[in-house]
Amino acid sequence: MIKVEHLSKKFGDVTVLNDISTTISKGEVISIIGPSGTGKSTFLRCLNLLEHPSSGSIIIDGVDLLDRRTNVPKIRQKMNMVFQSFNLFAHLTALDNLTLGQIRLLGMGKDEAARKSLDLLRLVGLAEKADAFPDELSGGQKQRVAIARCLAMEPEIILFDEPTSALDPTMVSEVLAVIRRLAKDGMTMLIVTHEMDFARDVSSRVFFMEEGGIYEEGTPQQIFEQPMREKTRAFINRVRSFHCSISSPDYDLYAMNAEIEIFCERQILPKRIGQKLLLLVEELLHLHQPLLSTETVEFKISHSEKHGTLEIVAESSGDEYNPISLTNTPDELGLNIITAMTETINYQRFEGKNRVLLVLGEK
Amino acid sequence: MDIQTSKEAKATVVTLSGRMDAVTAPEFETAIKQLIEDGNIVFVVDFAGLDYISSAGLRSLLATAKLLKAKNGQIHFANIVGTVKEVFDISGFGSIFQIHESVATALAQIA
Ligand SMILES: Nc1ncnc2c1ncn2[C@@H]1O[C@H](COP(=O)(O)OP(=O)(O)O)[C@@H](O)[C@H]1O
Repeated sequence: MIKVEHLSKKFGDVTVLNDISTTISKGEVISIIGPSGTGKSTFLRCLNLLEHPSSGSIIIDGVDLLDRRTNVPKIRQKMNMVFQSFNLFAHLTALDNLTLGQIRLLGMGKDEAARKSLDLLRLVGLAEKADAFPDELSGGQKQRVAIARCLAMEPEIILFDEPTSALDPTMVSEVLAVIRRLAKDGMTMLIVTHEMDFARDVSSRVFFMEEGGIYEEGTPQQIFEQPMREKTRAFINRVRSFHCSISSPDYDLYAMNAEIEIFCERQILPKRIGQKLLLLVEELLHLHQPLLSTETVEFKISHSEKHGTLEIVAESSGDEYNPISLTNTPDELGLNIITAMTETINYQRFEGKNRVLLVLGEK
Repeated sequence: MDIQTSKEAKATVVTLSGRMDAVTAPEFETAIKQLIEDGNIVFVVDFAGLDYISSAGLRSLLATAKLLKAKNGQIHFANIVGTVKEVFDISGFGSIFQIHESVATALAQIA
């Protein structure tokens, strides 16, 4: 479907992309990961001709993008892009953001466009916001509208350029859920992302970019569990998050602590932050205690160097239950500690699970 | 967590070191209960060697204080510093308990 050969891109004397060749088939979901500044965005932007490659070729279904006769707007409709910063039209409602392109570029009638657009807003869970303007929406909602707008162009391929990087941590999951759903429906996608767990479970293939090229590629299993090359290994070690699942009230706190300490060492976190992390996890476990005899609680700790934060997520199965509600805690001691030590603490019922999110600053 | 006790003229000094968490807090409660049964009702707890306390530890301290109150006993804390102090401050323990700079000043204040 997409065939890239010897693609290079220079900005002045600086070579950002150096001789990239790859083939992407229909239905593939490719996550592009790697350190900042290694050309991930530039690669996507070249595919969409937002940047003009310095040399090489890009062939989409037999059409050479760099051929002067190629219809660029048509290509962008077929291979549409979602940006980090949403890029919605501020003066148009959510619905009109969608219908505009359908009417102007696809030549659809107004009524048909409105009907289809409303269906797409429903798909991303925002039908009730059809008449809202972008500045009346949260970041997560804006990005979901932007994804719906992208879908309105009936693309065959979607390019996502860090779709969740501009979002508050509490809103990341709603956007990722929409992208996961598109993956399930078989959409071909290339996603530049810093969300490693997402990359791991949504992709069919992962590109690790470094030194201006695809330094290593493979299945999520290969890249995240057995990276072969040195720089991939170093990167994965740094971003790897901590996971653990607890399903008994007699969990082994010290085994869990030991693993968290290893995680902190790998992430090169100061000792004081490591201590706080242990404390927050113990308090969270305590708040989940009533669930542990019947349900499983999944803990995930991840470190974002980019935002200078640590995120702790505790997700439990079973009926709706808010572990951080004062009515469910015998005293406020644990909750007070958590609240004082974190920047964010919140509960969401999300996709049939109870989800508590804590965000801790690195300072 | 390591718990050491020593008898002074006016009080029993309990020296804690290590971590007071969900696993070890019950050990503290058991130890103090035994001491109370043996007739000790005035305590100074030295936190100098303790480098971690969670709400489970705080609950044990509250339970112990309650027990002692019922017996007209006393509990004093000394050397609350670092992360332990941070957790005490968050929880308002500074105003619930009698906190002293050192074991010596605590002992000096006990009538
Ligand atoms: N329009 C531009 N002009 C000059 N340099 C650019 C331009 N766009 C990107 N770069 C440079 O190209 C490199 C790769 O950038 P980018 O593709 O954004 O990396 P990534 O997405 O991996 O963080 C960076 O060093 C960046 O400064």
